[in-house]
Amino acid sequence: MKFILLYALLIAGSAQATESGITIKSDALKAAPFSDAKIVATLPAATRVEILKKDGGWYQIRSARGNGWIRMLSIRRGDINKPSAGSSASALAGLASGRSGTGKVVATTGIRGLNEEQLKAAHYDEKQVTLLESSTSSRAEAQKFAASARLKARQMDYLADPGVSK
Amino acid sequence: MNKLTAMLFTAAGLALFLHSAQAFDLGQELRNAARELQKPGGSANLGGYSEAEEVAIGRQIAGNLLGAAPLVQDKKLQKYVNNVGRWVANQSERPDLAWHFGVIDTNDINAFAAPGGYIFVTRGLYKKLGNEAELAGVLAHEIGHVIMKHHLKILQQGKMLDLGGKLLGKQVGDDKISKLIGSGAEIVSRSLDKGAEFEADRISVVLAARAGYDAYGLPGVLQEIGHSAADDSSVALLFKTHPHPDDRLARLGEAMDSRFDNLNGQTVEKRFYKTK
Repeated sequence: MKFILLYALLIAGSAQATESGITIKSDALKAAPFSDAKIVATLPAATRVEILKKDGGWYQIRSARGNGWIRMLSIRRGDINKPSAGSSASALAGLASGRSGTGKVVATTGIRGLNEEQLKAAHYDEKQVTLLESSTSSRAEAQKFAASARLKARQMDYLADPGVSK
Repeated sequence: MNKLTAMLFTAAGLALFLHSAQAFDLGQELRNAARELQKPGGSANLGGYSEAEEVAIGRQIAGNLLGAAPLVQDKKLQKYVNNVGRWVANQSERPDLAWHFGVIDTNDINAFAAPGGYIFVTRGLYKKLGNEAELAGVLAHEIGHVIMKHHLKILQQGKMLDLGGKLLGKQVGDDKISKLIGSGAEIVSRSLDKGAEFEADRISVVLAARAGYDAYGLPGVLQEIGHSAADDSSVALLFKTHPHPDDRLARLGEAMDSRFDNLNGQTVEKRFYKTK
């Protein structure tokens, strides 16, 4: 048990240090996490970066072409030598077969994952629904909750679908 | 539209055939339904259920899902998630719906929405979250599905008999709901079309921003999930039913562009409730 804890700590520690990523499109590297900050360099697509920190929609990064801040959504996180799950057709095919495709069941606490068969076979549980509804917050209650963290509502329009040309 | 109309009439024919003996103005109901379909937005009005019907359908689905994975036994956690979720839902077009949020006990990484405002996040996903803005972003994506009635629409489009079932349900009662939603909580594992997922992502960042949060909560979670190992079974269902996070992030990046640059949202890290 102690060994597992130590192992978990080690993993957490290494993940916290730095993480690699890659630019998915060409974008400006800025001196600060603001759109009107000075441009340090322009990173072409597929530039390897090291992610140091996150601030809102920005990542502070290190790269061979310079250090600075870049839009978070211009970066794909993760080790680029290791394809991420489902990003290739073969991985998708493996996933499509569900748990049997991986032969692996997450078993750290003995609770199994949810698959389609389990969802299909599920039976209605009224006690659980009542329990769920017992924690419901009212509109006013949520407003109070928000105010206690100084969250203020503001206006903003929905975004247009970029896939639909106007 | 043509396909939908054809489906409507096929369903109507079946319904008439099966229940022509019952005294019920099916003709009028169908004319109403047809009128719904012809409104601008077409299928957007397809789920022509009353709010009470919608909630009854959602409640049944929620109960079935809870039958597969019960709530995490932590009252404080559940209340916290309801407070965050309701605050975000307050910023939507349906602030007066009785929204219910729950964390369910499974290591699977996923979140679910059922019609009428029933929303769930798994413990596996919750544990990946680092602050309240990320939770808000995940819940806001599901709120997006509810306000756009995405699941109601697939319930109606999925089966030929759905419309007949719906109309007859007015007479026959609640057991018709079970017939409509299929077995168990199967409906939550059905894929919506990709467009619906991208739409819910775009709604998420806007609702989070409206609520005062850092709008990049959901994108942050998607990046985190995006580089999960391909052999990680805890994301199998999520990846099967949603476009890949990388695709979602690329689309979201295009849609958000620079519109959120000067919005300073809060991440509310301090208050974030940590589970054991």
